[in-house]
Amino acid sequence: MRRGLISWSRDEVPPSVLEGRVARLQEQMRNADLGAMLIYTSFARPSAVAWLTHFVPYWNEALLVVFPTGAPVLLAAFSKRVHDWIRSVSHVGEVRSAPDLGRAAAAFLKEHPPQPSRVGVLELDALPWPVAEPLVKSEYGRGLVDATGLFAAIRQPADEVEIRLARRAATIAVQAFKTIPREAKRASELLSVLERSARLDGAEEVLPRLAPDLRANATLRRLEGDALLGERYAVELSVAYKATWVRITRCVSNQGVPPSWRGAAERFVETAERLNEANLSLGPQLGPGKPVAWTLETCRGSPPLSIVATGETPSPSALSGGSLACISLQLDLDDGAWLGGAPLILGSRGQPSCLLI
Amino acid sequence: MAEEGIDVLVVAGNPWRSDYLRFAADITPVEGHAFAFIQCEGPARIIVEHPAEAARLRSEQAELDVRWSLSAIEETETAIRELGKRRIAIAPLAAVPYRLAMGRLVASIGPATALLDRLMLRKSPSEIAAFRRAAVLADEGYAVFREAARVGRPEYALVAEVEAFFRSRGCPENFQILGSGGREVRGMHPPTERRLAPGDLVTTELTPCVDGYYAQICRTLVLGEPSEAQQRAYAVYDEALTAGIAAVRPGATAGDVARAQNEVFRRHGLGDYVTSEYTRVRGHGLGLYVDGRPALLEDVDLNLEPDMTLIVHPNTYHPEVGYFVHGDSVRVISDGCEVVTRTPRRLLSVPLA
Repeated sequence: MRRGLISWSRDEVPPSVLEGRVARLQEQMRNADLGAMLIYTSFARPSAVAWLTHFVPYWNEALLVVFPTGAPVLLAAFSKRVHDWIRSVSHVGEVRSAPDLGRAAAAFLKEHPPQPSRVGVLELDALPWPVAEPLVKSEYGRGLVDATGLFAAIRQPADEVEIRLARRAATIAVQAFKTIPREAKRASELLSVLERSARLDGAEEVLPRLAPDLRANATLRRLEGDALLGERYAVELSVAYKATWVRITRCVSNQGVPPSWRGAAERFVETAERLNEANLSLGPQLGPGKPVAWTLETCRGSPPLSIVATGETPSPSALSGGSLACISLQLDLDDGAWLGGAPLILGSRGQPSCLLI
Repeated sequence: MAEEGIDVLVVAGNPWRSDYLRFAADITPVEGHAFAFIQCEGPARIIVEHPAEAARLRSEQAELDVRWSLSAIEETETAIRELGKRRIAIAPLAAVPYRLAMGRLVASIGPATALLDRLMLRKSPSEIAAFRRAAVLADEGYAVFREAARVGRPEYALVAEVEAFFRSRGCPENFQILGSGGREVRGMHPPTERRLAPGDLVTTELTPCVDGYYAQICRTLVLGEPSEAQQRAYAVYDEALTAGIAAVRPGATAGDVARAQNEVFRRHGLGDYVTSEYTRVRGHGLGLYVDGRPALLEDVDLNLEPDMTLIVHPNTYHPEVGYFVHGDSVRVISDGCEVVTRTPRRLLSVPLA
């Protein structure tokens, strides 16, 4: 559940930027003969609607209806009492109460018939059935088409506003890492200071995963309860700031930084910077240290981050230069595992990527 | 499953609706879709859409058969097809995606969801134990919140302190919303940058999760000495909460509990403020989901049974003082209910100095 600061700063995210994103979507809709587009949002899948309107649901669900012209309308399954709050943190034309979201969407389309009648749905396959069923059974049911590709085509590269938000999110994470006590013995101690620092810095959300003892197991875990920290451990922080997510991973040793880690960190930077839109299929090109696993993730739909390329899949999907992405890497060094991760702006063909931290 | 004639139950979930997955396979997804294939015997088979999630789940439960796919929904569809003519059902309604509902399993969604709902409504002794531990944490968390609520602090700083405390106690999840101010405040929301001011009512609903189970507490405090109007308002909410808790017993309906609370407001001439214009529910079920069944509303006729767990909260707007919350977590027992949250019920006051 989103528990941190949710607010809309018009200086950080000007209304004109949000309107520009909506206009790009509307242009694509017109080109694709879509009379309307439906974009679902929930705690688990907030990013597409947030990118267009700055609205992030802290719970419950909503559906954004975008027509080829005009401001988007938010059908929100929240109490009416929350509508003022929704308006204060987002930029939409209208907020409508929609306790039964699917039926409300079907009724809304009947009231505002799309022209043409084809209705695009972002990630149609994933639309929750209680929302989808009334739409499927409505007169627009036959006209529902998946518009995931259409949305992805405009979602990246990132604009300057999004990159600034990502830098701020990354700074929040880096600042939180600095608060880790040198002699931390338990995971709870560590996670407590990270959580406090990130949220006091204005994080909208922070999701930590931890490998408490790198010598025993390098798998990043979501901890319930507590765990003893080994001499070496790794922390991954996924931080959201005003709906923009970054993922950063750091290794910590309470015996000082091992020389092998310095080398690994340097190679991580070189590797990340060498990535560009044309060489994603090659994966990280490293010197010493065998890459055990790596992922490149970006946001181009409703999930905050989804996989573009990974060591376990042979062919990556395309991602254009200028896209905001996060690289995560695990190396098998002579003295054990090393994990690193950071956000970057992907380089264009032949150009280096730029790490945000 | 055997009684219902189900060979394989496919349970869908995501980071928001993880409750059914937690119940059926003891997994909690952090990112993306997740699907569990539950059979009458043998470990569950899991499909997720991120390699890190797959690695994490394997490390949590080595016996699970976990795989990942960039399209977990498509992979699940294929896996269902490969099950051939076995009797398959899919649930829960809230999390089944369009693609999996469009096939032959659509008729199974309702009955399979009802099956899981029945199983999840009454808690086992170990579930009750987790609920109690969460309630203890809710009380302790509220004490941290009260300590953090000081004039000049922004709302989000209060949440930061509470979250840090919960993490220090090994608690990975908490649902918390709050409000601060006076008559202009109509509800609670995630924390904003608003700084607390003298005379504010500060409300919060705090819901920590222990071993997957949520317990909740709702309280209101005043920054400074409570005014007479605030004291009067508090007396109404306390009377309503007391009436609601007294109505919780086996055989009573969820509607009876809501009605007992609402009647108090009506007697005090505040009947308008228990309508949907000003409030949502008078409480709800607790367990693996933060806002579970049953909703405490006058038209809900679900019978309460022993070992159901609920929050009773007559939270609503008061025309003289603004939004006000007051609620406790309870467990239904054979002759009534046991209140498991222990924070004193009074209008708490935080000194200005």
